[in-house]
Amino acid sequence: MKIKSILIANRGEIAIRIIRTAKKMGIRAFVIKTAKEPNAWYLDEADEIIDFSECFDDTPEFLDIERIIYQAKQHGVDSIHPGYGFLAENPDFARRCEEEKIVFIGPSHDAIYRMGNKTIAKELAKANNVPLLGGSKGSVANAEEARKIANQVGYPVILKAAAGGGGRGMRVVEREKDIERMFNLATNEAEKAFNNPDVFIEKFVREPRHIEFQILADKHGNVVHLGERECSVQRKHQKLLEESPSPALDDALRKVMGNAAITIAKSINYYSAGTVEFLLDDQNNFSFMEMNTRIQVEHPVTEMVTGIDLIEQMIRIAEGEKLPFTQKDIKLNGWAIEWRINAEDVQSGFSPSLGTIEKISWPESEHIRVDTGVRDGSVITPYYDSMIAKLIVHADDREKALQLSSIAIRKFWIKGTKTTLAFCRAVLQNHNFRKGKFNTSFISKELKIHYHQEPDEEMLAAFFAVYDYAREVHEIEDKPLYVEKGKEIAPWVLNKRLR
Amino acid sequence: MAREPKKKEPTKLIALSASNKAFEFKTPLEKKIKYQGKKVDIKLREDPNGFSYIVWKNKKYMLDVIEKNQNHYTVMINGVWHSFTVETPISLKRRRFLEKQGDSSSTVSIEAPMPGKIIDILVEDGAKVKEGEPIIILEAMKMQNEIYSHVSGIVTFIAVKKNDLVMKDDVLIDIQRG
Repeated sequence: MKIKSILIANRGEIAIRIIRTAKKMGIRAFVIKTAKEPNAWYLDEADEIIDFSECFDDTPEFLDIERIIYQAKQHGVDSIHPGYGFLAENPDFARRCEEEKIVFIGPSHDAIYRMGNKTIAKELAKANNVPLLGGSKGSVANAEEARKIANQVGYPVILKAAAGGGGRGMRVVEREKDIERMFNLATNEAEKAFNNPDVFIEKFVREPRHIEFQILADKHGNVVHLGERECSVQRKHQKLLEESPSPALDDALRKVMGNAAITIAKSINYYSAGTVEFLLDDQNNFSFMEMNTRIQVEHPVTEMVTGIDLIEQMIRIAEGEKLPFTQKDIKLNGWAIEWRINAEDVQSGFSPSLGTIEKISWPESEHIRVDTGVRDGSVITPYYDSMIAKLIVHADDREKALQLSSIAIRKFWIKGTKTTLAFCRAVLQNHNFRKGKFNTSFISKELKIHYHQEPDEEMLAAFFAVYDYAREVHEIEDKPLYVEKGKEIAPWVLNKRLR
Repeated sequence: MAREPKKKEPTKLIALSASNKAFEFKTPLEKKIKYQGKKVDIKLREDPNGFSYIVWKNKKYMLDVIEKNQNHYTVMINGVWHSFTVETPISLKRRRFLEKQGDSSSTVSIEAPMPGKIIDILVEDGAKVKEGEPIIILEAMKMQNEIYSHVSGIVTFIAVKKNDLVMKDDVLIDIQRG
């Protein structure tokens, strides 16, 4: 069946991303408007807006399954794309769509459920001979059992929410004396974030690399992998930048891990886009972590190196089409790096920097792609994440991609809020990062200072403070105007003109 | 057509950073900075998109004033912010004098590092705490964060209670060193 309309149950940059492909395919795009962001950019990009501004209870708009389904039916929408986060990995939502004959652009609800439960996922990996780490068999009943299992597996261990994901609901425990306290913390967090307090224990591999493989599978049993993404630069398990391919993999290792990823997908008759995550230790041993049954934030780097539109493929797969390529056809060309730019204050421990983006501007080029939901005047609210934009660069090799990253980041200007741009520059300056020698301990161990500052910058900032103060303190009425080829104007004149 | 300023007033000012570094500028309105013995021009510009920037030694630096309150400034240059107070030579002298006089305060306030909700308070009034010990659980963006005491001592005042919403830098707990 051909999909003619799509309701995007999401917001910000991913909503705009999905709309872009929908438009390309001639599919009518519907979006949801909330009272929290009535002027958001994604609303302007859609063909039709469904207004959820009126709130009847506390349920967040993008998590309101019945309301979304009801509205989709009211508007006669063929399909729903959940994006990432929100309901993307909620098996009930996928099931309700299926029941109401709305095409869910994603995997089956059964696949979402099984891979969403880390315990079941691990059992599947084990049954299919995919390498795994030691840990608890299923979730841990209480703090005392946590202590017993952790002592058995051997510290350090990591506590993980069974229904978790996106780096949340995880706690590393180094010593026995911390296990009970950490178990309680992890359980509370899991209950709050995922409505499911179940936590399991795994052996913690110190300083592994986080390598994930993009999978595409159709409803006819065809599965391919589109190469890996290197996601080791993380802070508290939140990814800050990603690249494809990984400097740690050669063709041989890529083939073995790629096949393991395909095996995982095939074990549950998976269809749609998905990502299989692995940990890679310094001996190049890999172990299965989990499978994410959704499109991921960092999907653009895979799109840049393979030339494949993943959203388009998700829609075609949902329509019942066969994959238009086999594994032989998949080639990774060049190197792509994605830099996440968030509204966070790096100098204050990455705390959220809410407020209005007065102005935002970035360099345009064939090899630079910016996915964002933010434009001049957009407000970063406390209701949603703090992402401003994803800056993706693509070049022939890693060295060139790093150079292009430097230039693009320097020319990426944001006024009105604190951002993580200076963090990106700190990473680029790091010798080991440039050499491709890093793992998940990079930020905590390698990066002495989390933001990059050039010599003279503090002095220039000091100068500006003094200059601004001086001109205010003095009588400025009779200060002359500097006019130099119409370019330079004294700031106070501009201020006057603006008023 | 360029015109010269009518008067150059002596306006020596000092920007004092948060880390107590002093940056002195003798005549800031001239827009020249002394660098390695020479006076170098500093240009303040605005680009067509509305961004302010500085041009210094042929390099562009994006500029944004994040906070401005009397003589307190937070200026962002190329994405990194710096806080200063602008002092005159006299006000700086007084400030230094008062610093020497003032008590080496033995009470330390533990502040909220980010906005959030108080989930649990792990200590009581009068309790002994050790440096590095967790004293509060703060929920922010769905994560439970442990806030640690950065000194050893005795709890003298608890400024919050369970379920309170706090902003960044709000005082949570006072601890008397010792």
